[in-house]
Amino acid sequence: MGVVPLAKSKSLFEPELTSFADIAFLLIVFFILTTTFITPAGNKLDIPSASADPAKSEDKQLTITLVGQDIRYGSQGERVTLDDLRRKLLGQNFRAKPPGKRIVIVNARPDVPYELYFEVVMAIHGADGVLALLEEEEKAKK
Amino acid sequence: MSVRRRKRMRAIVPTASFADIAFLLNIFFMVTSNFIKEGHIELTQPRSPEIEPMKEGQVSVALDKNGDLWLQGKPCPVEVLEEGVKALIAELGEKTVMLKIDKDIRQEKFGPVFLALSRAGAELALIGQKAKE
Repeated sequence: MGVVPLAKSKSLFEPELTSFADIAFLLIVFFILTTTFITPAGNKLDIPSASADPAKSEDKQLTITLVGQDIRYGSQGERVTLDDLRRKLLGQNFRAKPPGKRIVIVNARPDVPYELYFEVVMAIHGADGVLALLEEEEKAKK
Repeated sequence: MSVRRRKRMRAIVPTASFADIAFLLNIFFMVTSNFIKEGHIELTQPRSPEIEPMKEGQVSVALDKNGDLWLQGKPCPVEVLEEGVKALIAELGEKTVMLKIDKDIRQEKFGPVFLALSRAGAELALIGQKAKE
C-alpha cells in the first residue's frame, strides 16, 4: 500500500472573488430601482368611539350633511361650497373650545363619493374639529 | 552626457475594497428599503390641501376601486374587519390604521369600514394626496 506524501496532496484553493463586486453592484442597482422613497400623506383622525355615541350628547353638535355632491351645513341644511365650509368651520373657533364641544357630525348619504367625504373630513380636521361617526340606527332616525 | 531616463509611473487603483463598499451599500438598502405590499391594490387616492406627510403605520386597510376590502394587503370581508384589526392592534401594539380608499367609492361601501375600525378602537389615518391650494 503506497503512502501519499502530505505535501503533495495539499492544493492551494483560491476562490475567484473578482466577480463578487459586480454581483454586489448589481444588487445595489436592484435595490435602487425597487426602493420607494414615497412617504404617505394624510391626517390622523381623532374619532370618538362608536359606543361613546356623540349624537346622544346633550350639547347640540354641529352637523354636516352630505347628499350626492352637495354639502349642507348645520341643522338648517344651508347649501355651501367646500371653501364656504372651510371658512365656516374656521369661524367656529374650535381651538378655543373644550374637546367635547369640538365634535362635528358628518351625516353622509349612501351615494356620497369618498372624495367629497375626505375633503369635508380634512376641512374639519384643519379647523381643529373632531369628527364623529353616526351608527346605522342613529342614521335611520335622522 | 548621459541623460537619465525617468521611470514611467504606473497608476494603480486599489480595487480590493470595492466589494466591501458594495456590500455595505447593499446592507444599507436592505435595512432601509420598504417594499410595497399593496402594489396589487388598484385605487386612486383623494386629494386635499389640508393633508401632510406622515409616518407609515404598520396596520393598513384599503378599499379599492372595485369596492374590495384589503387588510394588510390580503382580501378581508367587512364582517371580519373589526376582529382582524383588533387582533392586529393587540399583536403589534399600534392603534394607527392607515386607511386608503378609492376616491370614487360610495358611502354605502366606506361607511361600514369606518364604523368597524372605530369599533375596533383604531386611530384612523386617512391617506390621500396633497392638492395645491
